Amino acid sequence: MKEFNIVLAGVGGQGILFASRILGTASIKEGLNVRVSEIHGMAQRGGAVISNVRIGENVFAPTVLDGRADILLGFEPLETIRNLKFTSEKTFILMNDEAVPPPELARTQREYPSLDEIIKKIRRFTEKIVIIKAADLALKAGNILTRNVVMIGALAATELLPVKTESLREAVMELVPEKYLDMNLKAFDSGYNFVKERKVKV
Amino acid sequence: MSKTHMLLRNEPGERFLLLGNEAIARGALEAGVGIVTTYPGTPASEIGDSLAAVASEAGLYMEYSTNEMVAVEVAAGAANCGVRALTAMKHVGLNVAADAFMTLAYTGVKGGYVLVSADDPNCYSSQNEQDNRLYALFSKVPCLEPSNSQEAKDMTVSAFQLSEKLELPVLLRTTTRVSHTRGPVIYGKLVKPKLKGEFLREPNRLVMVPANARKMHIKLLDKIEKAERISEESPYNFIARKGNGEIGIISSSSAYNYAVEASEILGLNAEILKLGMTHPVPQKMIREFLEKHEKVVIVEELEPYLELQVRTIAEEYELDVAVYGKMYGKYFPRNGELSTRLTLTGLAEITGKKSPINFKEIDEKYAEAAENLPSRPPILCPGCPHRASTYVIKKVTGGKAVYPTDIGCYALGFMPPLKIGDLVICMGSSVSMAQGIRKATDKDVVAIIGDSTFFHAAIPGLINAVYNNHKITLAVMDNLTTAMTGHQPHPGTGITGMKEKAEKVLVEKVAEGCGVKYVKVVNPFKIDEASRILKEAIQYPGPSVVVFRAPCALMVTNEKIRKGIKIKPCKLTDKCTNCMACIELLGCPALIIDRGKVKIDENLCVGCGLCSSICPYKAIECGETFQEVSE
Repeated sequence: MKEFNIVLAGVGGQGILFASRILGTASIKEGLNVRVSEIHGMAQRGGAVISNVRIGENVFAPTVLDGRADILLGFEPLETIRNLKFTSEKTFILMNDEAVPPPELARTQREYPSLDEIIKKIRRFTEKIVIIKAADLALKAGNILTRNVVMIGALAATELLPVKTESLREAVMELVPEKYLDMNLKAFDSGYNFVKERKVKV
Repeated sequence: MSKTHMLLRNEPGERFLLLGNEAIARGALEAGVGIVTTYPGTPASEIGDSLAAVASEAGLYMEYSTNEMVAVEVAAGAANCGVRALTAMKHVGLNVAADAFMTLAYTGVKGGYVLVSADDPNCYSSQNEQDNRLYALFSKVPCLEPSNSQEAKDMTVSAFQLSEKLELPVLLRTTTRVSHTRGPVIYGKLVKPKLKGEFLREPNRLVMVPANARKMHIKLLDKIEKAERISEESPYNFIARKGNGEIGIISSSSAYNYAVEASEILGLNAEILKLGMTHPVPQKMIREFLEKHEKVVIVEELEPYLELQVRTIAEEYELDVAVYGKMYGKYFPRNGELSTRLTLTGLAEITGKKSPINFKEIDEKYAEAAENLPSRPPILCPGCPHRASTYVIKKVTGGKAVYPTDIGCYALGFMPPLKIGDLVICMGSSVSMAQGIRKATDKDVVAIIGDSTFFHAAIPGLINAVYNNHKITLAVMDNLTTAMTGHQPHPGTGITGMKEKAEKVLVEKVAEGCGVKYVKVVNPFKIDEASRILKEAIQYPGPSVVVFRAPCALMVTNEKIRKGIKIKPCKLTDKCTNCMACIELLGCPALIIDRGKVKIDENLCVGCGLCSSICPYKAIECGETFQEVSE
């Protein structure tokens, strides 16, 4: 495999950096070359967060080139739209439907667009899109903060990744502190089963 | 079972996924570093933080110094006793440390000394995007530039060796994309830190009075000539890609990664000279490379640092080669972050090859989708005490004063709806610029600064206000941590980088010690009291200081989570008239509009109670608010 590109996008606090670290760690476990690019510091404070994971022998640059994402993992609908320039008709999008309204909307007395409108926009780029209620599944697993692991579990179930589901689970086990591990594995499985049960074709 | 920290696993040959900054920390551990100093700053923070996490177990000494200059001086003192030392900082930190650094190059060091500067192209979290490779040229110290995590680790080890060989500090320069990218790193052996050395008196080398400094400058010039010979042989300067001889590329750091991928996509058979030791540049190697090619492209981020030197070599030896870069023709930008796309576009223009990717089409399609997309810039968190303090400042002054602000989260107060924050250039500038503004306008001036920044750079400015009797008010937003960079301790926190208890240096005591006669401490969530005191401070006929003290909201909520205390969001009652005052006055992200009505986002609200305090209809109910939170 020469290169496989994943863009993760959402809002500070949604656990995007941790999700990308799971993907990176799983890649290392399989002996693959990988780059995980993150944003820290000021840019994180409630702002838009984006992380890139690039896997493969030809990978040097830490960032994904426009139009070249294999997967866009959208943690928030508007942030998914904000990162559509990385997609093409070949890109698979897994999107969490959890809206986090940007304060600009309240200030300018505008409303958050409907999910239908958002999906319509996304479909102009790619038809391959699956919507997931990651926050609900995370709450069921025990804590909304596990939404990132729900997303990774769901992504594993698509079987699009160049890393095995088992490696991703192992990465979760390695990175999550003991006391939160059960909750996170539950979150992983609920995301995984969500996609498997729906027999999502991608 | 407690796991061994990833950075302390002594498994040479094993591969780990490390952030560039963690790789530098690992390199320091493999070099047996004894003393580490830092002042936190994005994108450098994780170097110091990683080493702080393992310091006592590894047996080294680590400290968060008051500022970058102090950090360099502490480390340089140790390095001159034969102990290996490292200092990490963000690019602008080197401006603060420059006075020490420039002359430290003259005295040199005995134990290896590595100064890491993490530059921030595109200002992801910075006030400028200066290129600190120029500091290497300026100070005449060697510079190493890694392009990925593996090199970051390896070059850190080499930097210590190089420093000892030349008896010179070495600058290890990264950028955001190197520091904040994770990649595989193959470990070497851990080396037990050497913590103690010996101070030998060598006044001719170490006391930089004019007579000695003149001599040491000559020695420095000799050392850097020797360094150039090392650069010619350096394993970090090499032909990374063979080409067909027609076109050559010279590149370094992150730019090299873009150059490789852009050439591949364009189908450009370019030979690439990758430079890892970029000061001094290997002149002979560059000359031979120029002689082999008709066209040579310099792909680098920010300043035309390599280009300038390559052009000088081409000129000196009258070489028949066309050099392309950003000085003439402007094929690449001198501002912002470089990318595969910008590199590809530049290379396409130079070679006349057509890009296989139609960026214009992508841009047009994207512009259509992103039309009217609300922006999501960084903002003050829900429950942030800076929102309360800034609200108080605005309420008391009616927005009519001038508000110089400073480097930290509270600078975000400049954004709507608060709009308090009129200028900021560097750490500590608020307090001193305030004095010039007051002198030039006679307006009320309220300068805003954070606690960590106060200790870092505000004290001489405050003494100046007392000494020259500038009637300004300094609002110290004391949230008891260095919040923006990841909650590092500072002199006011009572804890050290080694996680030991320390004397708490209190802002109010320092201000009193500087001679300020009006100094008061308030809780910003107690709005009436805080307002009364701030008003008094502004009316005071001399410099005044008000410390707005309340812990960072992230610390408060994390503490609650740790203790298993449920975070209770505030509730909107039916007394709400939808007047929008809370939204218009505070801009808290937890206050949203849903189907035309104000709503509290329960996932975001942390129950600070600020909106409840200012609601004209007393329509918001909260549990225990942040008025009750103690330090």
